Amino acid sequence: MRITGKALGSLAMGLCAWGLALHGKTVQAGELGAWRINGFLENDTRVRQDVGLSKERNTLRLEADREFDDLGAFTGNSLTLKLRGTYDGVYDLNSKEYGRDAGGPICLEDTSGLIPAGCVAHGRGAFGGNNLQYGVFNGVPGAGLGQFGFNLANNPNDGMIVLGEPLHRPGGGVAFGVPVRPCDVDSRGCLGGYMDGSENDLRFPEFADADRLDWLREAYFDSSLLFSSPLNGEEQELFFRVGKQQVIWGRTDLFRVLDVINPVDYSRNNIYDELQDIRIPMWIATAEYRMGPVAALQDLNWQVVWNFDKFRPNSLGQCGTANVILDAGCFFRGMKNLWDNGGTVSNFALVPPILGQPGMAMTTDFGPNQVGIREVKLPNWTLSNTQIGTKFEGVLGDVSFSLNGLLYRSQLPSLHGGSEGPPAISPFANLLLPVDLQLPELLPGVGQYNTVPRQVPYLIAFDIAFPRVKMLGGSLDFTIAPIKTVARIEAAMTWGEQFPNTLRPSLYSESRVARYVVGLDRLTFIPFLNADRTFLFSLQIFGQHLLDHELEQGRLGQVGMPDWKDNWTATLFMQTWYLQDRLQPKLVMARDWKAGAYAMQPSVDYLLSQNLKLSIGANVKFGDGAQKFNDCRDCNPYPPFTAYASSGGPLLEAGPIGLTGFEPLGRFRQGPLGSSDKEDEVFINLGYQFF
Amino acid sequence: MKRITRSVLAMLAGTLFTAPALAQGADDVINQSFYPYKAGAPTAAGVNVGVLIDKNNADQFKAVLDPVTYDLLKKGVQPSIKVGPTDSFDVHPKYVEATRQNIGKVKIVGGNLEGYSAGRPFPELPSSSDADAGRKLAFNFRHTFSAGDNVQIKPFYWKYRNAATGKVDRTVEFQFNFLNFKHRVAEQPIPAVSPNPNDYFRGIYGKAFSPQDVQDTQLMILGFDQDQKASDGYLYLGFQRRVRRLETSQTTDAFLGSDLMIQDFEGYFGRVAEMNWKFKGTKTLLMPLYRHNEQKLSDEYKQPDGYKFVAMTGKGECFPDVTWQLRQVHELEMTPVDKSSPVGRRVMYLDSQTFVAPRTLIYDRAGKLWKSWTIGHTSTEHHLPSNKGKFAAIYDSFGMFDVQNQRCTTGQFRTEIDGSKSPVRMFNPQFMRSGGA
Repeated sequence: MRITGKALGSLAMGLCAWGLALHGKTVQAGELGAWRINGFLENDTRVRQDVGLSKERNTLRLEADREFDDLGAFTGNSLTLKLRGTYDGVYDLNSKEYGRDAGGPICLEDTSGLIPAGCVAHGRGAFGGNNLQYGVFNGVPGAGLGQFGFNLANNPNDGMIVLGEPLHRPGGGVAFGVPVRPCDVDSRGCLGGYMDGSENDLRFPEFADADRLDWLREAYFDSSLLFSSPLNGEEQELFFRVGKQQVIWGRTDLFRVLDVINPVDYSRNNIYDELQDIRIPMWIATAEYRMGPVAALQDLNWQVVWNFDKFRPNSLGQCGTANVILDAGCFFRGMKNLWDNGGTVSNFALVPPILGQPGMAMTTDFGPNQVGIREVKLPNWTLSNTQIGTKFEGVLGDVSFSLNGLLYRSQLPSLHGGSEGPPAISPFANLLLPVDLQLPELLPGVGQYNTVPRQVPYLIAFDIAFPRVKMLGGSLDFTIAPIKTVARIEAAMTWGEQFPNTLRPSLYSESRVARYVVGLDRLTFIPFLNADRTFLFSLQIFGQHLLDHELEQGRLGQVGMPDWKDNWTATLFMQTWYLQDRLQPKLVMARDWKAGAYAMQPSVDYLLSQNLKLSIGANVKFGDGAQKFNDCRDCNPYPPFTAYASSGGPLLEAGPIGLTGFEPLGRFRQGPLGSSDKEDEVFINLGYQFF
Repeated sequence: MKRITRSVLAMLAGTLFTAPALAQGADDVINQSFYPYKAGAPTAAGVNVGVLIDKNNADQFKAVLDPVTYDLLKKGVQPSIKVGPTDSFDVHPKYVEATRQNIGKVKIVGGNLEGYSAGRPFPELPSSSDADAGRKLAFNFRHTFSAGDNVQIKPFYWKYRNAATGKVDRTVEFQFNFLNFKHRVAEQPIPAVSPNPNDYFRGIYGKAFSPQDVQDTQLMILGFDQDQKASDGYLYLGFQRRVRRLETSQTTDAFLGSDLMIQDFEGYFGRVAEMNWKFKGTKTLLMPLYRHNEQKLSDEYKQPDGYKFVAMTGKGECFPDVTWQLRQVHELEMTPVDKSSPVGRRVMYLDSQTFVAPRTLIYDRAGKLWKSWTIGHTSTEHHLPSNKGKFAAIYDSFGMFDVQNQRCTTGQFRTEIDGSKSPVRMFNPQFMRSGGA
């Protein structure tokens, strides 16, 4: 582990400051006129295996609320403000891993057998004209072959890592360089409006987007209108909450089955922070008709939620930062760079069988606008792009329930490629002559000889979209008295979600998705461990079923959708309390069934004083690690040049035959746990309430 | 004639056997139950108003002290008790009248009350020969008027203290609200909140405002009218912003790290069915009942209307600094039905006039004294102006002393009987979801 001297100095200074705080006087919630105010400071320091300091996050939170007199018939009027500002010092203290000095030159694996070293530097791939070791596959020295090759001046071999690091080596699959420095230092691969944070944006994330006002985390106004029911004369209530807020649906911890109204910021601490800290508040209006008891129902409420904010996707983490869930941010950045500037892709072009074994592939230099990600299509603000939902929630006998419906945009990106992707330039254009002859399409595989961009079925050239989704679901909880256990059940069905699918010419397809969680909570005495206090055991099993799943066995392996048709993730949370609840040991365990991935997070919270809380712990992942899936190198978008005929693939027909690699689709099999398999870390968190 | 006489005698005998209260006379029953000091306050040798009882003279007053208070005084843990005048804590006349109307009509059938409408279910003096006397007292306690039909306690400061060092480890600020859904007598809606499909009897709602680790935690427990049915419970955790259902048979955990268990709330916060009850006799003991406005009050936590909280005293400032008065109390011993409970038994002293529980002694499973639980009560007539005329013995201070661990939790608060501050809409999970009080 590497921790810089600067980091240690900072940590020591921080501890001194906390030492002062420890001996400070007890602080209660403050009053400022009619306002009730709380202020909090938090330091979160994390050290990651083989990386060193991965997080030095310092957060200031101010929360204020006040009540107002009744306004006519409106009662219970109040205004709540929650402000948050963060400075993450890791970009200054460990800039070699995260920041302006991150990354470096890379060498990309080559299994062609033509390269003795087994890897070539970025920009020295086959067909690019810059590597004579490839012989005839080098193309014209300095010019390459056809439209292959790219200008290293625009895409230098520096400030990069190899896609997939440190989870796996390419393993004979595809890989390419990914720029990792902040976007003001290195703009390559940055996706405007989505993953384009400058160094300061990463240091101070709440101030990264001036339009979004993320530092104003929540600001909402509450009001109630009391009236007599037209049906029975009983008092009923219309409750309104308007402003920037989080709207929480469902009864599940960690998993988001119904709790999908607000997007989530996974860049803060992957999936491991409390959702309240990582939900991204949105400008939302909610109205609740609180009917109270109705017929056999002890309580019935009808809520309408209108998310009128401009669409915002989940924050998946920018490549070059500590938390890049599924490593998606790195894949996107690498692909965007490939599109914009061209680049070198590991193990891509097959070595003709006459020269090598089937499957041996040359690391290949692509030119700009040939493969990759062109742009992210974030929905604009229009009335039709706002999101609306409704919920009935009530109590019937001993069961609490909700029925939920939501029309929204997927907060996860969908990659539209191939036949629905961006028009791309064929690398095979002008293959024989360095001029565009504008020849008619002479051969099967149409249009491969001119430089007119066009959409090419099965081509790995994408735009990022966020499709519209419909969701219907519900939840309930009840007590199972004989075993003193509370059961929670939550389920939802969605229509419109999109998934990668190598069977489709557009490389994606829609699937209806059923998700469900069964949770069991039980307080249990274990007298020999804690005589006075119970242990909380909370078990959850999350299941996901893709109803329109497509998966076929190809000649070389499975093709279709990498997501599992059925998968389950189980979590077990255990906690107990000692010393008047000042000492709280906790253990979270999780297993992703199909991925064979596990995570464990033991931690201990200790209240050093009324206002100062210390948490220490570790986050450890283990299991099967990286997974492989069909990577579409075999999709043959430009037949016959890209055919995998030597492996039995069709010469003139596009479509995959099942060649696999870790990248890019293995991430959907390994899931968030498996994708962060190499991100074991220890952490220390100090929270101080100063007001 | 003889046959008629025999029949009448048999009927009379039957009536006497099944309805002793009628035989006793309703007025007698009411007077004994609600006006025990009509003929004069109880007396004991040397127990005069103003007397200070401490370790030096505790032996002299042993007969009017519960055994734990005596022991704490002898050890100097609780430095002294000042004797105050014995007041008649008159209970609301409508509650008394409801009791009168109910006399002789209430039975315990299958562990639930049958024939009960409102007031005190069993106003007759308990008898040692009645095997069910303990349970009857328990139901009287369940239906006490100590919190009126609804009450709000706000602000409500709990201090977690180290008794050995006097250090305050934590201060938690709460709000609590109580609402009777049924058997209401004094405030509208009378006699019950309607509709009430789940047939709840009583609800308790609480919210913690500080410090940060418990901020915005909300608790709600809704007890059913049928005692045999386990209560509904809900918990809202501020850091999750979700309402979780609670399994309510588990009420013996330290509540938010304090020395109180949910089971300790109000003296005993559980179902009658969860305990075996034994009436141990009626005694005259000193109890922490007092006139709030005449106590030495604390200057801490200044309130806009000048209200002051009860001060704390003794080792670690673990005990309410209030006067105690001689009261007629019923001693009840309770043993948990659930053998896995960490509580071995509880001894509760119920004030016979109000059926509040000012003192409870809690023993662990080994039979050793675990905690000494004191809830100070004042009459509404000596409290806030807004409470005047509400005629209830309201909670006014508390001290839970953990004898084994030398810790305590004290409570300083302001109790107000005002229906508008504990509205029905507060007592459902949706109220908690929107952030609560």
